[in-house]
Amino acid sequence: MTSATADVGAVDDGPLLRPEPPPNRRNLLGNLVRYRWLFLLLAPGVLYFALFRFWPMYGAQIAFRNYIPFLGIEGSEWVGWEHFQSFFSNPDFPRILGNTLILAALGLFIAFPLTIVLAMLLNEVRLQVLKRTVQTLVYIPHFLSWTVVVSLTGLLFAVGNGPLWTTLNDLLGSDTNFLADPDWFRPLILLQSIWKSTGWGTIIFLAALASVDQEQYEAAIIDGAGRWQRVWHVTLPAIRSTIVVMLILQTGNILDTGFEQIYLMSNALNRSVADVFDTYVYFTGIRQGAYSYSTAVGLAKAIVGLILIFGTNALAKRLKQPGIF
Amino acid sequence: MRMRRIAPIATAVAGALVLTACSGGGDGGGDNGGGEGGDGALDSLTIMAPYFAEVPPESDDPVGTALSELAGVPLEVQWVPNTSYGDRINTVLAGDDIPDVMVITGKDQGFVSTALAGGFWELTEYLQSGDYPNLVSENPDVELASGVNGQIFGVYRARDVIRSSVIIRQDWLDNLGLELPETTEDLAEIARAFTEDDPDGNGADDTYGMIAPQWPGGIGTSSPYDTIEVWYGSGNVWRDEGGELVPAFTTPEWREALEYERELVQSGYVNPDYATMDPATWNEPFLNGQGGIILDVQSRAAQLADLFEQQEEGSAATKVALAGQLEGPNGTFALPTTGYAGFLAIPRSSVENEEQLEQVLQILNDLNTTEAQNLMNHGIEGDNYTVEDGFAVFNPERQEFTDQVTGAWAQLGMNVAGYNAHPIQPRTEFLGELGELRLQLQEEDAANAVFNPAAGLVSDTYTTNGTQLDNIIGDARIQYLAGQIDEAGLDAAVELWRTSGGDQVTTEINELYSQLG
Repeated sequence: MTSATADVGAVDDGPLLRPEPPPNRRNLLGNLVRYRWLFLLLAPGVLYFALFRFWPMYGAQIAFRNYIPFLGIEGSEWVGWEHFQSFFSNPDFPRILGNTLILAALGLFIAFPLTIVLAMLLNEVRLQVLKRTVQTLVYIPHFLSWTVVVSLTGLLFAVGNGPLWTTLNDLLGSDTNFLADPDWFRPLILLQSIWKSTGWGTIIFLAALASVDQEQYEAAIIDGAGRWQRVWHVTLPAIRSTIVVMLILQTGNILDTGFEQIYLMSNALNRSVADVFDTYVYFTGIRQGAYSYSTAVGLAKAIVGLILIFGTNALAKRLKQPGIF
Repeated sequence: MRMRRIAPIATAVAGALVLTACSGGGDGGGDNGGGEGGDGALDSLTIMAPYFAEVPPESDDPVGTALSELAGVPLEVQWVPNTSYGDRINTVLAGDDIPDVMVITGKDQGFVSTALAGGFWELTEYLQSGDYPNLVSENPDVELASGVNGQIFGVYRARDVIRSSVIIRQDWLDNLGLELPETTEDLAEIARAFTEDDPDGNGADDTYGMIAPQWPGGIGTSSPYDTIEVWYGSGNVWRDEGGELVPAFTTPEWREALEYERELVQSGYVNPDYATMDPATWNEPFLNGQGGIILDVQSRAAQLADLFEQQEEGSAATKVALAGQLEGPNGTFALPTTGYAGFLAIPRSSVENEEQLEQVLQILNDLNTTEAQNLMNHGIEGDNYTVEDGFAVFNPERQEFTDQVTGAWAQLGMNVAGYNAHPIQPRTEFLGELGELRLQLQEEDAANAVFNPAAGLVSDTYTTNGTQLDNIIGDARIQYLAGQIDEAGLDAAVELWRTSGGDQVTTEINELYSQLG
């Protein structure tokens, strides 16, 4: 950066005094030609972000307008922060934020560690056939759509004849309709998420585990370390950075609580715990056509998500772990 | 070497294409993809409509071709499954490819704000002028109810005013020596007996009284609960008290009705999964002999009768009984429909000038002739149905086609100036009797119908917050029935409704009511 500033100053003094620019920033065109294949490789990515991530931001301004499609974005009245104010002062807001954060926290503190545990368990399996079979089996649920998963849950917990409904109520000595009881909503959502995505989530950790230096284990064995000690002192430290990066990435998606799953699982009796940002945006925006208001809600969600990412990243750095930026 | 040059150029060109395709998105939709020119007459008419059939009609469907001939221009219908139709309206309105005519199913914010901003043609004068005789409503009240504060934005799709009914297992009544209910008290007694007195005589405690499914939407959606509340005299969504409108759920009669409903639920006289049961499976417990009472539209009785006939010929008469409104403790009230199910509105961004508008209205007029009504509701004469003694008789071998006609084309029917298509020949004697009974009940109940006095009024706050507001009360109602909350919880929900914008809705509705009502 300093060389560039010096560069500008030199131009002001007169062209004759211009020093030779550093070789790596000779000129853009030259670089373009020289690294054309790299740039070509980059192009689809840049294009993707420009088209699908940055271009739509132009439309995000409808959160600050009373957007009526017929009048167009520019033609709709500018109302500033009005929609944000009405959302933040709405009694729905604390409830939705709370529900979203609780579901996200459950995912982060229960479902996420389970992925690591499962990956380490799989890693410990010595019989390759068994390991591969189990791996394949736990990946399968990932490929089922939420609609199927929720239908299965509906069948399993059907009042009167669902096998899990019968078993659980016998065990607990109760007569609960698990699908409608607000106390059971979060456990069910969590169980579904674990069932569906834990296996798939192990892939990246298994890759990290595979790269752990085997000599370290050998050294640990010679030092007399047991299995648990090896896990604790060799395996975990070795994949620590992967865990941290995955954790930060996970926090970024934390508020994407999974629209389909929650939408399909909610009903009049559990809505008090089931309403999250995504379903709220769907109901107000798509169902009711409150385009501007729902966009404001979506933006508010994005801001909360951003704060969480920065927070986790800062925390990781403070704990002397490499963050993602 | 040649490849080297071409690849980057190809990428750049592809990128540019995508960009141009996208930049069309910003300008609010001036033109449409329908293929007509900006100024001249339309050379085709695109209509967006919902369908209920398994699959929508193909573009070369014979009914479509025949209707196009009547209309004088090719009709292109964009069929959307009914379950996602509401979503699609709002997405289409926000996009560029807006059809010439849209079936609008609800006055939600997307539609109302667009209409009031001038996005739809206001049709009040055109429709009432008499230039389009088939579009002059025979029921001006319903037309007004379909509008927005006195402005009519579409040709409504007429529906029977009385549809709500009580459907009961006739054989269970017979087994227990019970009569059809006349009062809400009778109904509660039947529900009890159906649960506790072994109506199917199999010696097992495996039945319950009323079947209630999960009901999407909040209040005032003709759910079984709404029906009972109207019978109790709570009014229909709003109640006029000396010129002032109050929400039905703030009346003591509403609370009384809830007490009654709660009693049914808490005593186990209602299916235990009433809060989660899929409405699509509503018929099953009735058919399987698990439950014996359904509060729903009259046509469900015919549907059930049909299903029983399929199981065992001639059995329907002994299984299905139909009753109309029940007398409540506070008088006799019947729950009517709004008399319409959405309306066909004409967006301004696709029908750009008055000349084109008149052309579209003329086409809609042609689509309301008796010939068009027969096409839309029955299909092609001589193909899937024939006319015998003035009745339409369907060809069982073409049942699939008939289902598609009734499940799709019938959705375009408006019939505001009357419905003159051939009546359908009932398949069995019992279905004929059921049809006559329906007409008789409709006449009886119409005298007691309690209409929503604010049906045609649209308040700003309700447009923005209506769904959440309705859900507050709708959810609290179910929670109260389930025993999750008590009276105080119900009060708290009403209070929440008030502070979340409900009070504002009441004020706005009353202002409009005093101006227009």
